[in-house]
Amino acid sequence: MQGGVNYQELSRRYGFAPKPESASRLTQLVSRQDSDLDEIAKVINKDPVLLKRLLRVANPDAENEIEYAVETVEDALMRNGMGCVLVLAMGTPLALALTKTFQTMLSLKLEMIDPSEAECLQGDHLLGTIHFSGKVEGEVYLRMNIASARAIAAGILGMSPEELTDTNEIKDAAGELLNIMTGNFKSNLCDAGLDCRLQPPEVKLSNNFHTPSVAGGGVERMALRTGKIHLFVDVTANPWND
Amino acid sequence: MPIKILSVDDSRTIRLIVGRSLRPYDCILCEAANGEEGLVAAAREKPDIILLDVTMPVMDGVTMLTKLKEDPALKSIPVIMLTAESGRDNVIHIARLGVRDYLVKPFKEEQLIDKVGRIVQLKRKEVSAPTAAPVPAV
Repeated sequence: MQGGVNYQELSRRYGFAPKPESASRLTQLVSRQDSDLDEIAKVINKDPVLLKRLLRVANPDAENEIEYAVETVEDALMRNGMGCVLVLAMGTPLALALTKTFQTMLSLKLEMIDPSEAECLQGDHLLGTIHFSGKVEGEVYLRMNIASARAIAAGILGMSPEELTDTNEIKDAAGELLNIMTGNFKSNLCDAGLDCRLQPPEVKLSNNFHTPSVAGGGVERMALRTGKIHLFVDVTANPWND
Repeated sequence: MPIKILSVDDSRTIRLIVGRSLRPYDCILCEAANGEEGLVAAAREKPDIILLDVTMPVMDGVTMLTKLKEDPALKSIPVIMLTAESGRDNVIHIARLGVRDYLVKPFKEEQLIDKVGRIVQLKRKEVSAPTAAPVPAV
């Protein structure tokens, strides 16, 4: 194939699904170090889900909305800087990719819920981690209990959960789920000028359910569920890591 | 003659899904877990088509594709990228290296069969026969 190829033409040829406009717009705004906070606030204020998520990220110690010390987008941006907006911008394609994967490969409708409404993971659970580095650096964590991991892997592989006894196959399926999510979100970051590279996923058993923290960066925990399957996605990011 | 398909992906899950999708068709599936193994398998098996992931340890899919296209004996093998990465620059770079198609994960099995079927003629098996055992890459 010779030069002169453009992305729109390739997207049509390959049959790519359109990318969500609001996530792309927010990532583009955050990727500019001289971004206008008013413009970012306008995008977030127009989207009730983003607004809710931003306030949750800006009030990490609050157990519910009544305890929020930071109550407006403007206040959240002033106090927390772009790090918290970046994790929002990154979280959207991650959640969408996860939802689409469940729909496409498992015919299950995954819904996003408030993490405070989700049942905490007790004891050992499956933890998948992918580290990304470049102009933006951070980690994506995917957590689920063993029964959920088994049900997901069995669904993807077309088996019943009882048939699936190989722990490595369960881990591999969780790793691939993480790969699919982060591949989609990496595309979103790169398209906004925040080039980064992904490391292969690491999947292991963990009993630490704490949300990770990043000095100077942003952290968001998202919770998603379908039936008895509960998933937790943590995103940490440090922007402009030139 | 059955169609020979090489699936290069570090995820066993994806290789199993590819195998399951192709099970009703008269084809032989070869597998490799990274680009380095993929090049060895491509040279040895001379597949009719390669399904190639991008992010893999040891050697990634873009490096494997580049090396494949530099090799006169292998460069004409059609390649479908099978990856979650559809970023603009990545897609344009890969398209310029020369791929026949691109399938973004997650995908439905019908989409995979449709894309493969546009490049090689997939024939359904006439009787229900046992699945061909995957040919190990090394």
